[in-house]
Amino acid sequence: MSAQLPASLSEETVREISDGRDEPEWLLETRLSALEALETVDLPDVIQTPGRRWTDLEALDYEELVDPLNQSDKTERVTDEGVHVLPFTEAFGEFGDVLEENFGQTLDPESNYLTALSTALFTTGTFIYVPEGVDAEDVKVRAEMNSKSLFSHTLVVTEDSSSVTILERIESGDSTEGDRYFSNLVEITTGENSYVQYGSLQNLDDDTYHYTLKRGDTGVYGTINWIEGNMGSRLTRSDVETELNGDSSETQIVGAFFGHEDQHLDLNARVWHQAENTTADLVTRGVLDDEARSVYEGVQDVGRDAWNTSSYQRENTLMLSDESEADASPKLIIHNHDTEASHSATVGQVDREDLFYMTSRSVPERTARNMLVEGFFVPVLDEIAVDEFREDLEELISARLR
Amino acid sequence: MSSDQNHLKETDTEARFEFKKEQNSSFQTEKGLTEETVRVISEDKDEPEWMLQRRLRALEQFQKMPMPTDWPGQPDLSEVDVNEIVPYIRPDVETRGSVDDWTDLPDDIKDTFDKLGIPEAEKNALSGVGAQYESEVVYQNMQERWQDKGVVFMNMDQAVQEHEDLVKEYFMTKCVPPSDNKFAALHGAIWSGGSFVYVPEDTTVDMPVQAYFRMNSEGMGQFEHTLIIAEENSEVHYIEGCSAPKYSAFNLHSGGVEVFVGEDAHVQYSTVQNWSKNTYNLNTKRAIVEKNGRMEWISGSMGSKATMLYPATILKGRGASDNHITIAFAGEGQNIDTGAKVYHNAPDTKSTIESKSISKDGGRTNYRGLVHISEGARNSSTAVECDALMFDNESTSDTMPYMEINESSVDVAHEATVGKIGDEDIFYLQSRGLDDDDAKQMIVSGFIEPITEELPIEYAVELNRLVELEMEGSLG
Repeated sequence: MSAQLPASLSEETVREISDGRDEPEWLLETRLSALEALETVDLPDVIQTPGRRWTDLEALDYEELVDPLNQSDKTERVTDEGVHVLPFTEAFGEFGDVLEENFGQTLDPESNYLTALSTALFTTGTFIYVPEGVDAEDVKVRAEMNSKSLFSHTLVVTEDSSSVTILERIESGDSTEGDRYFSNLVEITTGENSYVQYGSLQNLDDDTYHYTLKRGDTGVYGTINWIEGNMGSRLTRSDVETELNGDSSETQIVGAFFGHEDQHLDLNARVWHQAENTTADLVTRGVLDDEARSVYEGVQDVGRDAWNTSSYQRENTLMLSDESEADASPKLIIHNHDTEASHSATVGQVDREDLFYMTSRSVPERTARNMLVEGFFVPVLDEIAVDEFREDLEELISARLR
Repeated sequence: MSSDQNHLKETDTEARFEFKKEQNSSFQTEKGLTEETVRVISEDKDEPEWMLQRRLRALEQFQKMPMPTDWPGQPDLSEVDVNEIVPYIRPDVETRGSVDDWTDLPDDIKDTFDKLGIPEAEKNALSGVGAQYESEVVYQNMQERWQDKGVVFMNMDQAVQEHEDLVKEYFMTKCVPPSDNKFAALHGAIWSGGSFVYVPEDTTVDMPVQAYFRMNSEGMGQFEHTLIIAEENSEVHYIEGCSAPKYSAFNLHSGGVEVFVGEDAHVQYSTVQNWSKNTYNLNTKRAIVEKNGRMEWISGSMGSKATMLYPATILKGRGASDNHITIAFAGEGQNIDTGAKVYHNAPDTKSTIESKSISKDGGRTNYRGLVHISEGARNSSTAVECDALMFDNESTSDTMPYMEINESSVDVAHEATVGKIGDEDIFYLQSRGLDDDDAKQMIVSGFIEPITEELPIEYAVELNRLVELEMEGSLG
């Protein structure tokens, strides 16, 4: 279903954004094409089962939420030796060709209404370029949203035999009146034998609607590992996807979420095995409290030519309240028989026996429960290479448990 | 090949399932579906006015509803055109209604069922048998000792006459309303034949009752309705078998099954379907389970061009439980889309779903499941396990479970695995002197064993033979 085009959107708006940033012609064309696509493309697919849609993206008032000419953010970028970490506006000169060649290649700007909207209107974001042979561990992007709506686009390009670990942190800054909308597109294109870990920690305030699509494309022997932490927002729709296009390439998608109050988290992890000898591992752990609701879809799609595939998926949800709801659909789509694939999903509550054991050792019940919840996240926390990220996430979890 | 295996193959399974008869009917409706057709069927069956009205309401719903086309990866139904189907064929049987002596059946019908082994099965292991040929039940028998206890097993058309109150109360009212889906509505409009099973309170029918459905005519649809009512603290095992030979035009099978499991009652519903590879098998099966009742669905889906079948259980009373065991086998040109649906609507309810699928030669199997746990269904638990075995990269196997959990105090687990047939296992068996085909067949038999061991021996043998037939000679 298509959403109504906000009246504030026009070719002039898009040209004004592009002119203000001194953009090359090709980017303006890409934006205008995305704007035009808004007339025809649909909102992202959401899961439907008899009698219900699991997430209602149509209900968002895009007219009210989108204020393209008043976008404001404060973004801090920390770079490491040999890596180029720049806002787009500073990258057009030196890296104009790399940008033009890679922008919108892994993530099709016109794949749905929200990606098209974001491409037409983005004013912030980062270009990260890792030249051949560079190993970097300490790239950080800390973004603060300071306006009613903010559209961000991040492009990561790594050359052959390079590696980089990137941490992105997104928070709300100055509060504005009413509901807000944050859109975050991230695309990663990797060279041969290149390793990327991209961690994202979202802790927006509870008036913010959040859409993110993160998509990677692996080269031969390449690895893309995603960590997707979702703590904040009123509603989050997050899609993390890897296309394993290089032979012997790998991906891991690690997710952690903690919903409380009336948060709605629609989290999706998808992987397409397109080449030979590829491996995927999808791990998500989440906790729900109060009236929070989680929707999870995991897709492992093994193509006809994906010989010798290994693909694993696990999703576990812990429910702390009777008013919460956890919906899950882990999907396996297998076209090649030379595959070892499995998925599992569980939903449960804090183990009574564990709780009993701890309270009988004189740990107060609330403390015991909190400890068990923290312990529940350990398998996910263990996958996080960046200390700062892991500590931040742990801190946010324990703050929520108080 | 070992001598044991030769012995197994002595029965010519192919001849048993693929033979077909000259079409021989006394009455049949025109192709297509109109109000007139519905009235003609109802009149031919001497139905009470309320049943005609129910049929007409269902027809209206059918005409209003769109074809289901929007499920991810669902079978292609574009070929299914109801206007090309003969919805009702009354076979040429002298006796009005069904006969209860096998020898009274016309030879061609008797031959058909003889070849399928129905009379032997009855002699050996069953407390009752019904056989449906085209749209009508042609044979119905129930052992006397069960009749004396008040157990009813008769064809559905007859039940409309003889147990009108029960049928009026339960037939497509509480369990499967015609509005459930387009094919349930179609079924409601033109249903014909099927079984009616009633087991009174405190009665255990300790031998299975069986019905066999056979489609013999080209381009026909079969729409049998099965209604099982198991009163408090009763127990019954119902077995249904289905087959149809291959014709060039497509056939449509759209059955309806409604099961009412009373308090502390236990119903097992087993089915092995082997429709021909031009049949669209679009069924609606559902059970409602009261307090501490237990429902078990066991199904083997072997034949058909496309199957869409998701037996559903509504766990309505506290402590009710449900058990699904399914196996699907898709060969060339087949799309078997099957799964299970369970609604946990009361506390302390339990369900388990075990699904196995095999795909080869471009076949496509889907597991599509829904587990719903309502708010307040405290201490409920569900475990879903799906395994898929694939033979080649022309085939496809999908697992699409949906879980809607509205209650925190639950235990939900879903697991699925997909793998190719193990090279090492084959090597091992080959090194012990088995050829490649036999080794693969043996591995498949082992893979489906958890299902076959739940079936009565007759059906387990039949299922194994069908698997053998599917596997024969087609492996490289």
